[in-house]
Amino acid sequence: MTNFLQQCFNGLVSGSFYALLALGLAVIFGMLGVVNFAHGACYMLGAFGAYILLVEAGVTFWLALLIVPVVLAVFGMVLERLAIHRLRSLDPLYNFLLTFGVTLVLQDLVKREYGIQSQPYPQPRGLTGSVDLGLFSYPAYQVFVLVSSLVVCVAVWYVLTRTRVGMIVRAATERPDLTGALGINVGRWVTPVFGFGIALAGLAGVLAAPMRAVNPLMGADLVIAVFAVVVIGGLGSIFGSVVAGFGVGLLQALANLYAPTIAQTLVFLLMAIVLLWRPAGLFGREEAMA
Amino acid sequence: MRRTTTVAVAALSAGALLLTACGGRGGPASGGGGQQGAQISGDKIVLAVLNDQSGVYADLSGKNSVEAVKMAVDDFKAKYGDKAVSKNIEVVTADHQNKPDIANTKAQELYDRQQADVILDVPTSSAALAVANVAKAKKKIYLNVTAATTELTGKQCNKYTFHYAYDTYMLANGTGTTVTAEGGKNWYIVYPDYAFGQDMERSFSAAVQKAGGTVIAKDPTPFPNDNFSTFLLKAPGLSPKPDVIGTMQAGGDLVNLVKQYNEFKLREQGIKLSVGLMFITDIHSLGPDAFAGTQFTDAWYWNFDDQNRAFADKFKQRTGTVPTFAHAANYSAATQYLEAIQRAGSDGADDVVKQLEGYSFNDVFARNGKIRAEDHRMVHDAYLAEVKPASEAKADWDYEKIIRTIPADQAFRPVGQSGCTFS
Amino acid sequence: MIRFLASSRLRYLWLAVGLLLALALPWLVYPPIAMDIAAWALFAVSVDLLLGYVGLLSFGHAAFWGTAAYTSGLVAIHTGAPYLVGVLAGAVAAAVLAVPIGFLSVRRTGIYFAMVTLAFAQLVYFVANQWRGLTGGENGLQAVPREFFGLDLSDPFYFYYAGLPVILFGLFAAWRVVRSPFGRVLMAIRDNPARARALGYPVDRYKLLAFVLSATLAGLAGGLFAVNHGFVSLQEVYWPTSGKVVMMVVLGGIGTLWGPILGATLVVQLEDFLATSGFEGIGIVTGAVFILVVLLFRRGLWGTTSHLLTMVRDRGRPSHPAPPEPTLARELEKA
Repeated sequence: MTNFLQQCFNGLVSGSFYALLALGLAVIFGMLGVVNFAHGACYMLGAFGAYILLVEAGVTFWLALLIVPVVLAVFGMVLERLAIHRLRSLDPLYNFLLTFGVTLVLQDLVKREYGIQSQPYPQPRGLTGSVDLGLFSYPAYQVFVLVSSLVVCVAVWYVLTRTRVGMIVRAATERPDLTGALGINVGRWVTPVFGFGIALAGLAGVLAAPMRAVNPLMGADLVIAVFAVVVIGGLGSIFGSVVAGFGVGLLQALANLYAPTIAQTLVFLLMAIVLLWRPAGLFGREEAMA
Repeated sequence: MRRTTTVAVAALSAGALLLTACGGRGGPASGGGGQQGAQISGDKIVLAVLNDQSGVYADLSGKNSVEAVKMAVDDFKAKYGDKAVSKNIEVVTADHQNKPDIANTKAQELYDRQQADVILDVPTSSAALAVANVAKAKKKIYLNVTAATTELTGKQCNKYTFHYAYDTYMLANGTGTTVTAEGGKNWYIVYPDYAFGQDMERSFSAAVQKAGGTVIAKDPTPFPNDNFSTFLLKAPGLSPKPDVIGTMQAGGDLVNLVKQYNEFKLREQGIKLSVGLMFITDIHSLGPDAFAGTQFTDAWYWNFDDQNRAFADKFKQRTGTVPTFAHAANYSAATQYLEAIQRAGSDGADDVVKQLEGYSFNDVFARNGKIRAEDHRMVHDAYLAEVKPASEAKADWDYEKIIRTIPADQAFRPVGQSGCTFS
Repeated sequence: MIRFLASSRLRYLWLAVGLLLALALPWLVYPPIAMDIAAWALFAVSVDLLLGYVGLLSFGHAAFWGTAAYTSGLVAIHTGAPYLVGVLAGAVAAAVLAVPIGFLSVRRTGIYFAMVTLAFAQLVYFVANQWRGLTGGENGLQAVPREFFGLDLSDPFYFYYAGLPVILFGLFAAWRVVRSPFGRVLMAIRDNPARARALGYPVDRYKLLAFVLSATLAGLAGGLFAVNHGFVSLQEVYWPTSGKVVMMVVLGGIGTLWGPILGATLVVQLEDFLATSGFEGIGIVTGAVFILVVLLFRRGLWGTTSHLLTMVRDRGRPSHPAPPEPTLARELEKA
């Protein structure tokens, strides 16, 4: 039983990454209608950002956790202004293709600079032990990852539903014309929201650095699984993405234990089932079906 | 629109024509074949290095392997001077980017258009096997150095293909047998669920059991995989508790696993870690402290003895970095190939094959080396290595402590088991 | 001068030029590359059929290309039948696979469709990896023979001519589909699905049929590719392959059929060049080209050129209504 609970916890930890990435993807899609293929590359940039800060400037993990998402938000906003903005009036497929090109360039740039091998990134001091969670003990760092991602998800939910800023963003997402007619400058929210989505990817990257291999391709296959997660949750639903993220992580860990042959394909099988049963995703809205 | 489309046809087809013409000359293949007779084809010997210069194997082998081969050529010329069988020795190279179709096409091109007499290196098993088929069709020599699959000397063997440095059997057998003999009786084996991992697991389990150990459990893991916590958490709970976790993961997956193994503090719980396939570049990527205490089989280590160190110094002067086993093996393969030509007096493929088969030798890479005639497997001494913590390193890249030498006749798969027939 | 060149009487002459080029290709480039170009050209055309004429971006077409490659290879190895049998079997396998994937995917449109096809292709990749007994897994399916009633086709130069008819047939089929009434309905669906539905067309069924057709053509190309190389690897079902073929279509010109052929030629040549040149920035080059094309030359090379030539030709001519551009291109007018 203890083992089972440990594995569940395990699944929730890996689900944290899915959730954070799916959240960023959903926020960007909601606001801009853009599916950001480069989300995995931004996650990778987040991890590398933490690594570079450590190696070049001796910046610790804790500071990196604050600095890197901000830097990536800026990067995201620049990208949006320079490139994505120009294609917004067109079929979103073009932006999808654009971000695919951006992914190739980013991955290769990092590879040229740092090689394809993984870079070492130590666990932050203060989180190197184990935490006794009553029923079982678990590495402290992984508990931290789970807790912080839950905190971030709840915080984002709070901002979106309880604050004025969030209300504006949501209104601008669902009814841009009406919102504009009410005198709110919808356009100026687009860039910051995109930057925010990228920052979330970067945050996930920093969290991943101490516990996963930091190499240029670390986000490449992951982003496709995140696509499947978002389809499961429902492309227009932020709540759905987060729930699906944690859920898929959990199910994958259990599959690893009881049915390892299908563990890898599980997320795609789930996606197929969801598409059959509820084509708009578990929490998706009908309008999200383009 | 249709009219202008056709005009565009004209313009662009003319342009495409020009572009493709720039790509190179075509035409039917001009003979190939193994030439006979005491002649050097085209009055020069061409060694081709086909490997991964931009992907996962770039650091292990990559461009520096080309340098290693060039070193071998220089040393050969210096050794024989005027008596060398040919003074025109060229080294050419191509990057297969870890894509087997590119490897396949480039191999054909190297043999056909660059008149390569031998292709060296070729990491990535699917590429390696594809090139083996090309070598068989073109009847030209192929010395594979960096691929791991035993199929090269097994079901997919052929007369012109040789497997030089290592294979999954050597790795698994070396580590499995010696670690069990040293006291690691109970094993939990974790392996990535694809061809390489499955092959390694099979050889590993067999070696452990033969040495008197027990495989308590073995689990396939998804490949690629970020999160090994499920398996690592399972280990202490197994009954009996395993002494060693044997992991067959490689590259980024290995790094993930080791990071998480350290996080769960399994070494402190008495569960050691043994790695099926590890390169010195992997140790470098995480730093020796993350791997300290881990045992694995290595084909060659630069800091093992004076001969290796001398080679490493020369190599470092030339390339700025310490040689990996792949670099040393490419040097050795090129040297032995040239020596075989020297003995044969010709670079005709069939003549050289005759010289290579059954040949015993000792050089900087291969101690007690021999190229088996039955399956073209080059056997040599292998080494059980343990990663030293950074504090014990006496120089840059001094990561390994050689615990035991595994003699050549025990390190590799016995001849009868290979299933190789030169049809 | 351009008006002369553009006149419809010479249209068939220019088509003949294209055919001549196809026949002469192995003389101009290294023969195995020539067959590669031809196979990728058909693959790219199959993707363009969906993207340019139905408005669906499939980002997972490697699933069909690769499945057909494996099937063709397996048939060749295990039955020793003439290579055409294997290639056809591959195309059939691709078509069969396309039915469930298409059925689940066409319910979505636009970007959703792209994501779903991408995810399904990953599924196929993982299955191919796991099913090692059939596919050889990471080692790949090796030693695929080339058999045709005892004729020696081992020289890639001659095999090109053996495979070219298949490719030409596939290209011709695509061209016919686009110019048929069925093709017109597809374009109507692309431009305004609601209207098409209101007119009584079962939109989803048409989309599914187009998807299966496209997959079959991709399968034809993939099957030939396998026999050409003599082996099949996981690379053929891996998602960067899907990305590569989309890039060829975008680079060449969406919705033009000729554009993807040009795109395929250029990309294959570029990759071959980069492999020997020792240049280390392959991803940067391809990614940057992609970004530039999407930002600035959305009609692709072919489309941009024809558009320019149209403008030059029409200067000074009384304006007459231009035939409709593909939807993706039409939105360019708004931009």
